[in-house]
Amino acid sequence: MLGAAASTALTGCSSSNSGSSSSTAAPGSKPGVATGSPVRGGTLTVGTIAEIDGFYPPSNHWDTNGFIYANAIYDPLMAVAADGTVKPYLAKSMTSNSTYDTWTLTLRPGVKFNDGSALTSAVVMANYSALKASPLTGVALNQVASVTTPDDMTVVYTLTGPNPTFPAGLTTQVGYIVGEAMIQQATSNPSAPLTPIGTGPFIYAQWQPNDHFTATRNPNYWRSGLPYLDSITFRPIPDTTQRESTLRTGGVDMIESVDPTTITNFSGSGGTGFQLVDTSTGVIGQPSFAFIMLNTAVPPTNDLSIRQALAKGLDQAAVQKVIGGPPAKPATGMFLPGSPYYSETDYPTYDPAGAKALVGAYKARHGTPTVNLLTIPDPLEIKVVQAVQQMWDQVGFDVTVSEVEQATIIDDFVFGKFQAATSYQFGAVNPDLNYVWWSTTTISPIGQIGLNFTRVNDPTIESALLTGRHTTDQATRVTAYQTVNEQLAKQLPYLWVEQYVFSEVGAGRVQNFNNPTLPDGTPQYAFDEGIFVPTQIWLAG
Amino acid sequence: MTKYFIKRFLQLVVVAFIISVLVFLLVHLLPGDPSVTILGPNDTAHNRAILFKQLGLNKPLLQQYTTWLNAVFHGNLGQSYLNHESVTHIVATGAPIDIELIVISQVIAFAVAIPLALITSRRPNRAFDNVSTTTTFGLLALPPFVIAPIMVAVFAVSLHWFPATGYVPLTQDPATNLHDMILPSLAITAGSIAVYYRLLRSDLISTLQEDFITMARSKGLSNRRIMLRHAFRPSTFSLLAAAGVNIGALLAGTFIVEYLFALSGLGYSLVQAVQQRDYLVVQGISLVVAIAYVVLQFIIDFLFTVVDPRVVRE
Amino acid sequence: MPDDRELGGSDASDQLLTNMFPGQAATDEMVLSRETEALESDDILVTKPLGFLFWMAIGWLGLVFLLAVFANLLPLPNPDFQNYSAINATPNIHHLLGTDDLGRDLLSRLIFGARVSLIVGFASVAIGTIVGGTLGLISGFKGGSLDISLNAASFVLLAFPAIVAVIAIVAFWGSSLLKITIIIGVGTIPLMFRVVRASSLSFANRDFVIAARTMGATTPRILFREILPNVVPVAVTFGLITVAGVIVLEGSLAFLGLSVPPPTPSWGNMISEGTANGNLSINPYIMLWPAAAMFLLLLSINLIGDRMRQRFDIREGLL
Repeated sequence: MLGAAASTALTGCSSSNSGSSSSTAAPGSKPGVATGSPVRGGTLTVGTIAEIDGFYPPSNHWDTNGFIYANAIYDPLMAVAADGTVKPYLAKSMTSNSTYDTWTLTLRPGVKFNDGSALTSAVVMANYSALKASPLTGVALNQVASVTTPDDMTVVYTLTGPNPTFPAGLTTQVGYIVGEAMIQQATSNPSAPLTPIGTGPFIYAQWQPNDHFTATRNPNYWRSGLPYLDSITFRPIPDTTQRESTLRTGGVDMIESVDPTTITNFSGSGGTGFQLVDTSTGVIGQPSFAFIMLNTAVPPTNDLSIRQALAKGLDQAAVQKVIGGPPAKPATGMFLPGSPYYSETDYPTYDPAGAKALVGAYKARHGTPTVNLLTIPDPLEIKVVQAVQQMWDQVGFDVTVSEVEQATIIDDFVFGKFQAATSYQFGAVNPDLNYVWWSTTTISPIGQIGLNFTRVNDPTIESALLTGRHTTDQATRVTAYQTVNEQLAKQLPYLWVEQYVFSEVGAGRVQNFNNPTLPDGTPQYAFDEGIFVPTQIWLAG
Repeated sequence: MTKYFIKRFLQLVVVAFIISVLVFLLVHLLPGDPSVTILGPNDTAHNRAILFKQLGLNKPLLQQYTTWLNAVFHGNLGQSYLNHESVTHIVATGAPIDIELIVISQVIAFAVAIPLALITSRRPNRAFDNVSTTTTFGLLALPPFVIAPIMVAVFAVSLHWFPATGYVPLTQDPATNLHDMILPSLAITAGSIAVYYRLLRSDLISTLQEDFITMARSKGLSNRRIMLRHAFRPSTFSLLAAAGVNIGALLAGTFIVEYLFALSGLGYSLVQAVQQRDYLVVQGISLVVAIAYVVLQFIIDFLFTVVDPRVVRE
Repeated sequence: MPDDRELGGSDASDQLLTNMFPGQAATDEMVLSRETEALESDDILVTKPLGFLFWMAIGWLGLVFLLAVFANLLPLPNPDFQNYSAINATPNIHHLLGTDDLGRDLLSRLIFGARVSLIVGFASVAIGTIVGGTLGLISGFKGGSLDISLNAASFVLLAFPAIVAVIAIVAFWGSSLLKITIIIGVGTIPLMFRVVRASSLSFANRDFVIAARTMGATTPRILFREILPNVVPVAVTFGLITVAGVIVLEGSLAFLGLSVPPPTPSWGNMISEGTANGNLSINPYIMLWPAAAMFLLLLSINLIGDRMRQRFDIREGLL
């Protein structure tokens, strides 16, 4: 799946504990939050959605899955707290100058990688250089003009311009620090498999791709007393029903899911003895959203009235019924009620009569509009597009559906060779991370590579995005992203379907998987768009 | 004898070479390329160019092919563009899974089909025959992706007799391995049973009408002896041939079962590699599978000469 | 075993090349173990009544065909129409077989789906039989370099990993009923080629053929009058087996997203849809009806094939 962007922090946003949850665990306890005292030992086996590509941040793109694995063997420099602030994790502190264009980061002393080498500023520098040079991650570090290391424990980042949210970037892929030996191995022998070297709670032991990944307890972990588990094993189980069955038969202790029916299956009596946590509430920043993407640069979707007709003809409530899972209010934008960024927009409501009128007017000028709707061969997506096809046909469109594989569809997005397509994206604690998708600077003509897939060309959006990035005032930032949201509602490159919800289910004996704390003792953002932290999990006897 | 093996070897090389060329052309004609999978949302023109250069994908097609072929001759099948796992390693860990799936499933298929055929060929079109035919065809009409979830729901989730997914290598823990492989093997076996049963049954019916059977009967030999010693043997021809074709089809056709049971077999690795445009993995696994198919046909041919002395070994 | 071509065995390399590709020995045996005596032009067959089950099978096949062909004329609801207030309905007056997870009538989808499955099944095998069979007939009889190269090509195609080819072709070309039929049809060509070739081969040296040649009959005449009638039973039997296989295969292709594009129903994609998204426990009818229909169809095809084989096999006909 098109990877949801990982967590970056947004300052000053308050939120309650992450994750809506349903529990059939002991009364009075919340799922994933243990009330007893920790028990040491045991192996946690997790059924994941897919296999990851690898453990080297400069060359392996991490999606949700990637970060789950990464959290086991690495630590990020910064992490997101449950209240939405960004706090040091592997770093000891991070401060800026008054203009927010120079950031000073200090490291924790005495931290060692599992190969015995020490965590020093030189190592951080080596990581930075590798990330900057990589075609995969270089873009994320564009704002950094230079990095210096005045002493062993200090790293100074000089930015190209003021960015008060810069630390948030270090909670993402570019903030995970690996051992220098691994970087050297990667540079000298780029095509050989790499052995991960990290500072994390577990140490890489074995990886058989598509079968299992095992890491064992790090006895010298810098967070003393942690982890509680002896080892952790990840098993990718691509079929959702099989993954759920494996949990029910005890083959794994915990599973992840992106299928809304998992939530239904483990609520109520079906969830007896299990603990369910999902992201339908408590998202910090911007949630992942499932949507239909429209190409604003090719006919007929380049016509605003057509996009409006498509929006008015889309019955979100019916689509959600088809998808299953917990019902949600029809979305009017990419922020959810309860989020500080939420505001009312002019996003069209379901109005088939209005849609028909618009299509009729278009038809008089250009003939019946035909739309080809792309999707990947995922059973749920296919259901959705068939429903959408009927809705649009009923208001006068002539819709065809094409199933294309993942690699082909991304190619189509990048080159702009599509009219409409399903996708999901935009999960980000800091909305600035989504800049590339909406910026006027990333637009390319059809037939050339451009990350602004929808080719939405709106200077208002661009200036709002930049304001949001550079401003130091929280209120201004909120207004800026609300402006982006409202403009998107006017331009309609995206037809919102519903929030893309992640869920995790733990067997009864898995304790404390939704209650991590930061090194300073404050609660950590526990379930960031499907990413959990294994450090403080234990297994009841 | 040596000449026989040399000839077979040459044939193998020719077939393998032709297939490697076809596969190479096919994957490079696919829309998209590994950069899409590797770079994800960072797939800009600039990054693609860098990546292509790193992976050697900017060279002309012919050169890419000859480079690969050269590496193959030196025993290097290349590695995945994504996780750098060597193709040899992928094959070494995946092949045992597929071999085991095929062996177990075919053993079960024979174990069911042969007795059924032996019994019903003596009394065709009676009740037992019709029930057997109906049941085996029922299994045939249910593809693996239907049988598997039903079996898991019944035998794993409800009865807890078998796991829903899971695998340990045979060498590591044979008991658990076999226990885990039962459900996946059963999912594959269903189609084979019907084919072998019907085939053997019709063969036996024909053979039982031949003169030498009548003669054996007139000599007073028991029915069972006639069946097993005289009728069965010549009928094994078609069974062997069908097994050859069936197994050949299974060789890379186990994808669905591997996907459902989370087995890292060659079928799943191959399909995943095609979807991720992991060219070298596709080429490597295709080559290995094609060679395996050809070798299998050779073995079947050889077995023919063993089973029937009339067949002249060339 | 009548070995491969007897070209007079003159050239050593010829010998090498004629035995170029194995597996044909196996096919020969499979074919021959079924054949007892050849049909000469004026043979009379001993017939035996075909039986009640046979006519049931014909009846079911006929019914399915008729329904599929005349589906548009039947008083059925639109198979693609989704009624969101009748999702996963159990069989009732309005929906005799119930509805699926998008609220579409299952009876209607079953009948319209028969079209796709039957076309994919029969048309693709027809392609394979006509092209592969013709080539096999000529190749088996004539031999020589034509035979060698065709035989080699068929072997390579059979050894090629089909799943890679199908994924690649569909990714490149797109999918539709026509395209899938062609793709599968091309895939069955090597199979039919080998079977017909082996059969043609085995008759090429029979007395009656040599006799015809001695009398001055031309090759086309020999092929058409002497060899073809003997090859047809084998081709039909094997062809029917292949039809059954293709109909089931379409289901697996649908599972991988490689079959006809939605919302067109086919038995294969209905079965696939019936096992996805937890439908197996929520609404087993989605999978049940097409699976049952497919099962009956396979049974019928097999029965018909059986009986036809019996008719053409003189000895077995005496059973």
